[in-house]
Amino acid sequence: MERREFLRTCGTLITGGGLASLGGVLGSKASAVEGETMWQIDPERCLQCGRCETECVMRVSAVKCFHANQVCGYCDLCGGYYREGVKELNTAAENLMCPTGAITRRFVEEPYFEYTIDEDLCNGCGKCVKGCSSFGNGSLFLQIQQERCLQCNECSIAKVCVSGAIQRVPVGTAYKLKDHA
Amino acid sequence: MSPRTVRLITLATAVVWMVVIVVWYLYNPSANLTSFEPGADMRPEGTERKSDEVRIGEFFMAHEDVAMPPAALSDSWAGFRGPNRTGIVTHTIPISLMEGDFQTMWTIETGEGHAAPAIWRGRVYVLDYDERLSSDALRCLSLTTGEELWRRWYRVPMKRNHGFSRTIPCVSPDGQVVTIGPEGHVMACDAMTGKLLWTIDMKRRYGSEVPFWYAGQCPLVSGDELVLAPAGKDTLMVGIDVLTGITRWWAPNVAGLKMSHSSVMPMTLGGTRTYVYAGVGGVCGVAADGDARGQVLWTAKGWQPSVIAPSPMQIDNRRVLLVAGYGAGGALLEVNHGGIGWTATISEQYKAEQGLSSEQQTPILYGGDMILTILPKNGGGMRERICIYNPSDLHHTVWNSASDERFGLGPYVVVDGRLFALKESGELYVYQLERGGMTLLRHQTVLPDGADAWGPMAYADGMLLLRDATRIICLKISEG
Ligand code: SF4
Ligand code: SF4
Ligand code: SF4
Repeated sequence: MERREFLRTCGTLITGGGLASLGGVLGSKASAVEGETMWQIDPERCLQCGRCETECVMRVSAVKCFHANQVCGYCDLCGGYYREGVKELNTAAENLMCPTGAITRRFVEEPYFEYTIDEDLCNGCGKCVKGCSSFGNGSLFLQIQQERCLQCNECSIAKVCVSGAIQRVPVGTAYKLKDHA
Repeated sequence: MSPRTVRLITLATAVVWMVVIVVWYLYNPSANLTSFEPGADMRPEGTERKSDEVRIGEFFMAHEDVAMPPAALSDSWAGFRGPNRTGIVTHTIPISLMEGDFQTMWTIETGEGHAAPAIWRGRVYVLDYDERLSSDALRCLSLTTGEELWRRWYRVPMKRNHGFSRTIPCVSPDGQVVTIGPEGHVMACDAMTGKLLWTIDMKRRYGSEVPFWYAGQCPLVSGDELVLAPAGKDTLMVGIDVLTGITRWWAPNVAGLKMSHSSVMPMTLGGTRTYVYAGVGGVCGVAADGDARGQVLWTAKGWQPSVIAPSPMQIDNRRVLLVAGYGAGGALLEVNHGGIGWTATISEQYKAEQGLSSEQQTPILYGGDMILTILPKNGGGMRERICIYNPSDLHHTVWNSASDERFGLGPYVVVDGRLFALKESGELYVYQLERGGMTLLRHQTVLPDGADAWGPMAYADGMLLLRDATRIICLKISEG
């Protein structure tokens, strides 16, 4: 399997919710590309400075917002979904944090809502991540979507990252996910 | 140019323009835009809400599979400072003072905060804050296992400020449990089933201003009456039927007091049962019984700390001890009822380093001649130590704990003649109270790596409940 194809599989698994199988897939495939490293963001260090949106060499950044369902509080008043100071808790555009409409939510049962990120629309601006970490429990976080990343020799975001959050990681752990211990 | 060429050019230009106009007409520039309108999340009709709307007690969950506590557990610590709000409990099961540590029966995780539990008929009530749900949550636990029997909660988004939770619930003799949330939301539930009885939003109903660091007032239930001090625009204090939520009396806020972190304390002063409240701006006494019920009997404005966490403590039939933190120190209030009616005067006041004081906990009067306190951090050389004073001299200690026995803002309680004091780092000290002093009996780390153990302790049926910022533990301190 080509590395790019392998990564595409991984990315699809993540966005499709196949997180449980991801560790195994990465583990079993890692040997094919053993020793190689990839760029990735450490969510614990990321300060959501906004540069991930603007500094990537891709026209739309390879950095995307990921959502850890196991960490999420499924809150109605979600700090990552709604703008600060919003009055009405409904899905009208003027209330929403995401500038590209990448986050949707679905009622589960009172008082819970499930949140989903449309990766094609996300530009990695990190606004939702900031909102979720300052007024929620940090289930939204930024990651370089490896199937979109060109693996530049020198990641142009890493060069300007204010917190040194972007570093090379082994292919076997190409994502730093919050759902996984 | 020939006329034919001109005609051709004109025709071609007209055709081009017609095509442009048709394309312009047919082109929909917003075809790729998605409109975001209310209702896209499939929220059921009628459940729409505003972000600041709080529906007190709206959610409930019972754990049917959890065993009920044994009916034999009949003791209670029904609210702030236990029976009679004294911080003292007597006639209990003998305390185990054998060698070996007290046994930890159970530990539960809580949201970050300082809300302490109340105990009633084998059930533990704690008004926790669930950060994941941005909610105040009244949790009812089994005293024997710590397992949750039910919880009732409501969404009230807040920012962390020394954690979230604060106050101790109060349970009436007939089994209604009342809570006051950090934002001044009052909730009454059936203590057995968790059924919601009634609610009050003190900010909305009375115009109360919730103080910085959130509301710290613990509800007071006297018989079948709940006494609240909203210290709002017009209402200083109210008496409410605890079963129905109907207001029985209210005292006007003529003195313009504001809500403090202090709680209403019942006292008999000048022979009259009085509800005493230390608000920001002054201390007041409201008649608790008779024809004058709800009448403001007296107000003293001579002592006005900007932050008051401890509650007033009665010394005798006419004297009340007032203490506060942040350097405010202490004061003695004298209340008299004579020919000219009621008078309330501050007979002395002093800074923290000059005498009996406390930052957060309310001192305990033991045996009529010993006032137990932990001095605040600006209490001079005795800072953060347990000190004992005689009520006749609030400036000189009659006893103090050793220099390594400093407790920070930790709580303390007297169980059967022994003082249980908790360092804010989670170390429990037990002292034997004697005339004029104490002897250290034992100490034990009960909350390893503890932090900010500030919430008061609760005791019933041989079990002592203690907490730090993120957990509650149950210690078996009785024999057998
Ligand atoms: S540049 Fe660094 S700190 Fe800024 S958003 Fe990207 S990873 Fe986070
Ligand atoms: S707010 Fe920014 S980072 Fe979050 S989903 Fe939208 S585009 Fe992506
Ligand atoms: S390595 Fe290149 S493509 Fe990947 S995130 Fe960095 S700049 Fe973008």
